[in-house]
Amino acid sequence: MTPLDRTPELGGCGADAAAYVLGALKDEEVETFRRHLATCAVCRDEVAALQMVADALPLAVPQLPVPRRLRRRVMSGVRNESKIARAAAARHRSRLTLARRVAAVGGALAVAAAIVGAVVLTSGGSSGARLVQASVAAPAGSAVVRLTGVHAELIVAHMPQPPAGKIYEVWLERDGRSPSPTSALFGVTSTGAGAVDVPGDLHGVSEVLVTPEPLGGSLVPTHAPVIVAHLS
Amino acid sequence: MQLVSDGEARAFEIVFDRHGAASFSLAYRVCGRRAMAEDVVQEAFLSLWRSGARYDYTRGSVRSWVLTIVHNRAIDALRRGAVRDSHDVAEEGAAERVAASECTESEVVRRDEARNVRSALGELPPEQRQVIELAYFGGFTHTQIAQTLELPVGTVKGRMRLGLTKMRLALGDSPEVAI
Repeated sequence: MTPLDRTPELGGCGADAAAYVLGALKDEEVETFRRHLATCAVCRDEVAALQMVADALPLAVPQLPVPRRLRRRVMSGVRNESKIARAAAARHRSRLTLARRVAAVGGALAVAAAIVGAVVLTSGGSSGARLVQASVAAPAGSAVVRLTGVHAELIVAHMPQPPAGKIYEVWLERDGRSPSPTSALFGVTSTGAGAVDVPGDLHGVSEVLVTPEPLGGSLVPTHAPVIVAHLS
Repeated sequence: MQLVSDGEARAFEIVFDRHGAASFSLAYRVCGRRAMAEDVVQEAFLSLWRSGARYDYTRGSVRSWVLTIVHNRAIDALRRGAVRDSHDVAEEGAAERVAASECTESEVVRRDEARNVRSALGELPPEQRQVIELAYFGGFTHTQIAQTLELPVGTVKGRMRLGLTKMRLALGDSPEVAI
């Protein structure tokens, strides 16, 4: 037995660092430990040292070749999304003009900061589109949801960048139910502009929400909404 | 990664070719089933494609970033109620199958690193290796492990810490260098 083997029982500072880097803490414990990390240099050092080992653990796995069909599936998905993104980029340029107009209106509404009720800006019109002004937590930010039939787009302006390591995720909420995740993840330009299609069936959707989430998105919201658009 | 951030599908293809095998191997080790592992890797890489612009090169290697996302997705898939059939990881013996012709210099370095990590893990006392594998590859929390092994939670945490610390000493300060 080495000296390292003599103290299996642990308590106090540093006791959770190994479980944390291995992903073995429960969700509520993770939050508590992260708050502790913000104030404890000892635990931060411990996590940094052990994280390097945890990051190396995938190498312990026997290496297998990638199935060809998996490569085809992934690259096919990427190319499809790339085409859609290019088409969307073309539309995006015209939307930016709209976003600037929205910002002018929404900026005044957002000065009050915290989230307030949504306002329907326009309804109907020659294009059949309806614009729903969303409530935005960021003081200078503004956002609208543009509804065309069953299709919806979220257009934002003057939004802050998501926090480091986070991305904005769009959620759909139906009355009395937990928000459902969508595949819509987005960032914003250096001026805070952005536009993203809202995927999924909007039937019965009462609110479109946006939260900052870890890269790759989440299955349940981990942060309070920064954008809320009431559709009904 | 800059090209991926710019939405270049061909650049992303290179990222997949570099890290796809390690990702699939990790997902398969966690999920234990090929179909589920393939789904996990597909989801993970598509989410990487969508969020490529969010990669922060100051916070670690691309490989580490990719594998972290694959690992999280695999554990999520497992915890979403996937029935854990006995892992048909019998293929372990048939691993390291990448054809010799694909064996580049960086691949040789990576294999050396992999051997070192496997050795460091394998040389741990069984009870320390067990809790690390149950947590990292099995997706179990420390309380679940404690219940399963009928041990105090503090003992489980202690074994995790001792095991990782020993691995760190065995690997040196920078086991991630070649990842």
